[in-house]
Amino acid sequence: MARILCVAEKPSIAKAVANHLGGQARAESVRGSQWVKNYKFDYDFQRWGRSSVTFTCVAGHILQQDFPDRYRGWTSCQPAELFEAPIQTSVAADKKAVARNIEFQARNANVLFIWTDCDREGEHIGSEIREIALKVNPSLQVCRARFSNIERAHIIQAARNPVPLDDRQAHAVAARIELDLRLGYAFTRMQTLALQDMIPQQGEQKKVISYGSCQFPTLGFVVDRYFRVRNFVPETFWYIKVVHEKDGISVPFKWKRGHLFDRMAVIIIYEKCLIAKTAKVTKMQKKPTRKWKPLPLTTVELQKMGSRFLRMTSQEVMNVAEALYTQGWISYPRTETDQFDKGMDLRKLVEKQQPDSRWGPFAQGLMNGGFNQPRSGRNNDNAHPPIHPVNYVAPSALKNDQERKVYEFVVRRFLACCSEDAVGEATDVDIVYGGETFSAHGLTVIARNYLDVYPYDQWKSSQNLPLYTVDEVFEPKEATTQDGKTTAPGYLTEPELIALMDANGIGTDATMAEHIAKIIEREYVLARPKGGGAANGAGARGGGRGRASRSGRDGRGGAAQGGGGGTGGVQEFIPTTLGVALIEGYDNVGFETSLSKPFLRKEMEAQMKAICDGRSTRHEVVQQNLEQYRAVYTRTTQQIGVLKAAIRRYVLGANQN
Amino acid sequence: MAANIVAEITAHLNARHLHPTATWLQTFTSSIRANTPLQALKQTALFRICSTDITQSLSQPAETLFPKDILSGTSQSRYLAGPIICQVLDIEDIGHSRWSQVEAIEAKERGETTKGREIVRVVEGEDGQPEQPTVDSKGPFKLLLQDAKGVKVYAFDLNGTSELNMNISMGVKLMLRNCEVRRGVVMLEPGGVRSLGGKIEALDKAWKDGRKDRLMTAAKAAQS
Repeated sequence: MARILCVAEKPSIAKAVANHLGGQARAESVRGSQWVKNYKFDYDFQRWGRSSVTFTCVAGHILQQDFPDRYRGWTSCQPAELFEAPIQTSVAADKKAVARNIEFQARNANVLFIWTDCDREGEHIGSEIREIALKVNPSLQVCRARFSNIERAHIIQAARNPVPLDDRQAHAVAARIELDLRLGYAFTRMQTLALQDMIPQQGEQKKVISYGSCQFPTLGFVVDRYFRVRNFVPETFWYIKVVHEKDGISVPFKWKRGHLFDRMAVIIIYEKCLIAKTAKVTKMQKKPTRKWKPLPLTTVELQKMGSRFLRMTSQEVMNVAEALYTQGWISYPRTETDQFDKGMDLRKLVEKQQPDSRWGPFAQGLMNGGFNQPRSGRNNDNAHPPIHPVNYVAPSALKNDQERKVYEFVVRRFLACCSEDAVGEATDVDIVYGGETFSAHGLTVIARNYLDVYPYDQWKSSQNLPLYTVDEVFEPKEATTQDGKTTAPGYLTEPELIALMDANGIGTDATMAEHIAKIIEREYVLARPKGGGAANGAGARGGGRGRASRSGRDGRGGAAQGGGGGTGGVQEFIPTTLGVALIEGYDNVGFETSLSKPFLRKEMEAQMKAICDGRSTRHEVVQQNLEQYRAVYTRTTQQIGVLKAAIRRYVLGANQN
Repeated sequence: MAANIVAEITAHLNARHLHPTATWLQTFTSSIRANTPLQALKQTALFRICSTDITQSLSQPAETLFPKDILSGTSQSRYLAGPIICQVLDIEDIGHSRWSQVEAIEAKERGETTKGREIVRVVEGEDGQPEQPTVDSKGPFKLLLQDAKGVKVYAFDLNGTSELNMNISMGVKLMLRNCEVRRGVVMLEPGGVRSLGGKIEALDKAWKDGRKDRLMTAAKAAQS
């Protein structure tokens, strides 16, 4: 009988998959670790026949990268040496028991079957497991399971079709880890050593002024908006409003020009209208219109919507979605894909939602002929389907309100996708009055369709417009000039920041929430509920280190993260004086591409993708990026006075007032 | 310089409703080389005169000037048959707030532009021009025009005259025909405006250099 060693990325997945494959699998505890269990059972694999299976897991990354001792001290070397200092890879201190367990189990196994999550990070963790296992048993056959949710049939399918580990994806992550390590250490040390003594000390410890190649552009967006708000100058504009009354209905017509910023121009045009006396209808059009049902759900969209409608921060949403995934209720929540595979049986998923008291009847309606294939977006990461419910769970069976809210949103979104666009009739009336065009718009909603299950979208009928005919001439009841003022934009909100990061290639859908949390934790930014109120103390949010953290200490999703319970609603971000000073400082250093700008990092993300696609190699990407960042580094150290001046201006200047 | 050459050049310019002063003609003819072909001379003359300040270089017949009472605010509407020769001293985009224009200028100074939410670096191509063309404002525009006698009058381009946009040079010469004047303001319409090109170098430079400051000052002044 073949001996198969299966390794998942986290305990919950190991348990769920082991139970799917082995029934009530026997769990053996592992010495030195409370949460890792070895599940033992027999299973009939298509490829290896009846086998004896040990199903275990890790908890995120096992290996860690670090500089040798002689580079560790803050002043042990010039920070610039860290651009090329050797890097040691070793088993992380808190992962020793996990590594030992894998070594022990691998010795007697014939096959290593990896069950880490199917994304870049998971591929890299898989390569770490392989490295550890092959060291003790070089003759192991290695493969991995391809799965995107832990629904039973899907898991059995995955067990039947093992695939090779994708080394390119693992290399891309390795490149990112190396760059994050080198750049993070070099810039953090350099700027901390140069600026630390200038920053007023709070408490015993001196402040570390950390740098991260994603955090800085993220901070840059916040600071940029902050200055736009602060510098804003409101201005008056003028416009013409026309009202006509017909069939007892008062119809407001809007000026096609919107408004102008020159009063004289508006007055001259207005006079022309008054002289003309009458207006003439140039267009009367009724046409069917639709409000498109939403696209299948991606991670970025889930985070934005969560922020907007569920009163949760992006990080909270992701933690909850992760929990729902590991419990088997929803599919893998880290995906860029907004198109469902044509072969997927979506009806079956709809069918499962019929028992629910809130959306069950709607799901039934879809089953009884209302089903429509979802729209297809333009993105496909070729790894995971859009986020969708895998199984039905009654609200009482979920742990808390946050889980209920996120699950409800995922289900409603999915049902909306499988429904029909909302249908209405739009009426457009254009008139020409004194040579100027004015228009009125009306909407009648005829069939709400998907809106019935998706309260997050609004589409309401307007008042009815009276019937006009083309060439009809009438005298408006009122024509007036009005004025208004431009208003400042608001501080950057979380959904806006996520959208900016997404559009500018800062982080991946999986890591954006962490970068946002990081700049709060670093006290570069304060988060507060939109619309004023006291800012939450920085760092009030969950302090768990995410999976992109370079030490990989907590692993990804392995450790519970203390969610910031009280932080609800849309958050807006305001930079601290230190945040402003750092961004201003780097901008003023005057390098062609400041670290506060997204360009360098975007380039790096694009190169990661190139590694995955086989267009570039890990070595090339690392060297090229180090070269670029080294140029910024050199320039910054030459002009460190500019950074110091910014600190003096914003941090010290502000404190003296 | 042969008299017939002077006559030829004068005729060439007059045909374009440009009537140079004797002084200008003299300066021009003394600066040219005798063996230049006549056709080239005509081109050069047109180019050069369009690069001058017309209050110095032109001596126009009355019908190509703004009427003396053009600024009268009591006149609701009147038409100018033209052709009237004038130069542009200022142009403002009145469809956008001054502050938004300041922000756009600052983004350009940083070498950035936005494409939706994406911040795009403006990379200069091999010809020194930005690779991504920036989108030009459609206005509408408010202009300050000046004729050869120095009369200044405001004008609006409300309906998108193709010759006019925020990139025109200050001092560019326009020929106006059949323009309506309302309350002392010229209404420029497509078809009624022809650009003869040219600019006044010093004016153009000062205008461009000072544009951001003017916009900021104007926005702040309007605020208080």
